Amino acid sequence: MKEGFRQAMAWLHTWTGLIFGWLLFAIFLTGTLSYFKEEITHWSQPEVRSHALDPVNSLGVAQRYLQDNAGHSGTWFIRMPNAREAALSVGYRDPNGGPRGFVSKTLDTQTGQPVEARDSRGGEFFYRFHFQLQMPHPFGRWLSTFCAFIMLLGLVTGIITHKKIFKEFFTFRPGKGQRSWLDGHNAIGVLVLPFHLMISYSSLVLFMYMVMPAGIMASYGNDTDKYFNDLFGRNDAPKAAQVATPLVALPSLYAKVQALQPGARIGNIQVQNPGDSNARVTFTQSAADHVAYRRSANWTFDGASGALLSQGKPESGAMMTAFSFAGLHMGNFAGPWLRWLYFFFGVAGTAVIGTGLVMWLGKRQLKHAKSEHMPGELRLVEVLNIASMSGLLLAVAGFFWANRLMPMGVEGRSDWEVNAFFIAWGLSLVHAVLRSGRRAWGEQLALGALAFTLLPLLNGLTTDRGLNHSLPEGDWAMAGFDLTALGTGLFLAWLASKMLRSPKPVAKRAARAAKKPSTETAEAS
Amino acid sequence: MLGNALIAFAGFVALCLAMEKHFSDLLGRKPRPGQLRLLRVVGWLLLMLSLALSVHLRGWAHGLVEWTAVTMAGVTLWVFGLPYQPRLLLGLAAASGVLGPLLAVFAV
Repeated sequence: MKEGFRQAMAWLHTWTGLIFGWLLFAIFLTGTLSYFKEEITHWSQPEVRSHALDPVNSLGVAQRYLQDNAGHSGTWFIRMPNAREAALSVGYRDPNGGPRGFVSKTLDTQTGQPVEARDSRGGEFFYRFHFQLQMPHPFGRWLSTFCAFIMLLGLVTGIITHKKIFKEFFTFRPGKGQRSWLDGHNAIGVLVLPFHLMISYSSLVLFMYMVMPAGIMASYGNDTDKYFNDLFGRNDAPKAAQVATPLVALPSLYAKVQALQPGARIGNIQVQNPGDSNARVTFTQSAADHVAYRRSANWTFDGASGALLSQGKPESGAMMTAFSFAGLHMGNFAGPWLRWLYFFFGVAGTAVIGTGLVMWLGKRQLKHAKSEHMPGELRLVEVLNIASMSGLLLAVAGFFWANRLMPMGVEGRSDWEVNAFFIAWGLSLVHAVLRSGRRAWGEQLALGALAFTLLPLLNGLTTDRGLNHSLPEGDWAMAGFDLTALGTGLFLAWLASKMLRSPKPVAKRAARAAKKPSTETAEAS
Repeated sequence: MLGNALIAFAGFVALCLAMEKHFSDLLGRKPRPGQLRLLRVVGWLLLMLSLALSVHLRGWAHGLVEWTAVTMAGVTLWVFGLPYQPRLLLGLAAASGVLGPLLAVFAV
């Protein structure tokens, strides 16, 4: 009975980890990719060229374009280019145009003309997938939030289960089968624990308004917009007065923001009722400016007179806590080297889940090492392990290959890229069903190795943004993508060669089981 | 920040060597009395020093985040590299102990 609690926690860890591990692996992997969302988008739309940043000029360009093309619209959105994002994006509500009554364009900041970029969702797809799971709203968000809760549960139960958390803090013993997997799982879980805890807890904070809305609903009923307006110090724009009044020059408002908050970088600008006497212009500070994701860092101007109407309220302690968790999760503030660390910690989180899934199966396979056939439920777990891990990597590769190979003008092009992702994933599941475990792993990893290693070549052949151009021009986002793909490919090739070369698992495990304990200890010393 | 990263790395290595098993495995001899305690104190001091420097240089918000990040990265590199390249990593740790403070002083 002494071990009762710890055993119960171990049971919970094992089974919640198995049931949600497959989905969590996908969430963690795509979430990790999202740390390079803008860079992936840059690679996916090589037609959008980056220019030196000039906010005043960009704002003028955006305003001119919107005045010429969206004068009839009630709401404009402008997203400013930044160090990581080459595009100047403008959008406007237009009941007669665009999908869902919304038109968005990417402008070139030098010519002021829309860029004819290939239709692709780029990094946005992986970002959206990691919390919406391609499911209809709001089910994807609910499911991914629940997964985040399970991850947090897995971490806490894992800490309780791990008996020698300090004694084996620095311990990793490779080449010893199950022992090494457990060491690796533990070490990568414990050493990167602050990141794991932060990322899973902050996911819950990010969706707390959805998960625990009772407090808001008790005070505001169904008018939750009013709650957020109160919280972030925003006011709803008044109705258009139908009195035509020219909109003030946005660059002049930008200068006012700079006077109020010197050095502030601007992320988004929203213009309501442009060209009306009741126009409102809201500048929101770039999330890259603070560690905390301060949604209240904004300034609202009267678009007719240019007078400052309101600015974000100072945050309370509770708000700052929530904003800090949100900011830490998204890592918008991170410069290049910290962003890479975020990426590697994300990979570490993915690896904790992956090693856990592999161990669950490995442990139980040992019991059936001598029999010819694996029980059906273990085979099911094996197939799902393969499809959810190496299959997902193939799906990601499929997305990028589709991005380069799909003709430019195809209707619904960006949807077909997403379809390529899911088709590749589905095919990998079929492949995993048809082939034996180790072969399926090896073949899928080998294919993944090929797909990722050849991506830079494909990029060089299909665009003029290959490594031979991006490196001399110092286009590090483009070159970094290609080199990361190459590195990923080489890593997968190494994994594949391990899988394809070693003897069949059954024979190997049987041999190990047959070994005398004395030889085992002799090996260890 | 590289200076802080190296100091933190040296700190964790000292804490690792402060465990008798790792000390004798890595250095090939039994620790003398008091050596483990000294290593433990030095390790914690180095970690605290890098934290203080990080906060001093980058402020609380960025300082804490960056310190946590480089510390985790350093110790992960140590633990997973150790079975393969123990001598290289020990050398790196020794170099970090010297280079880290130097970089931290001159990069201010």
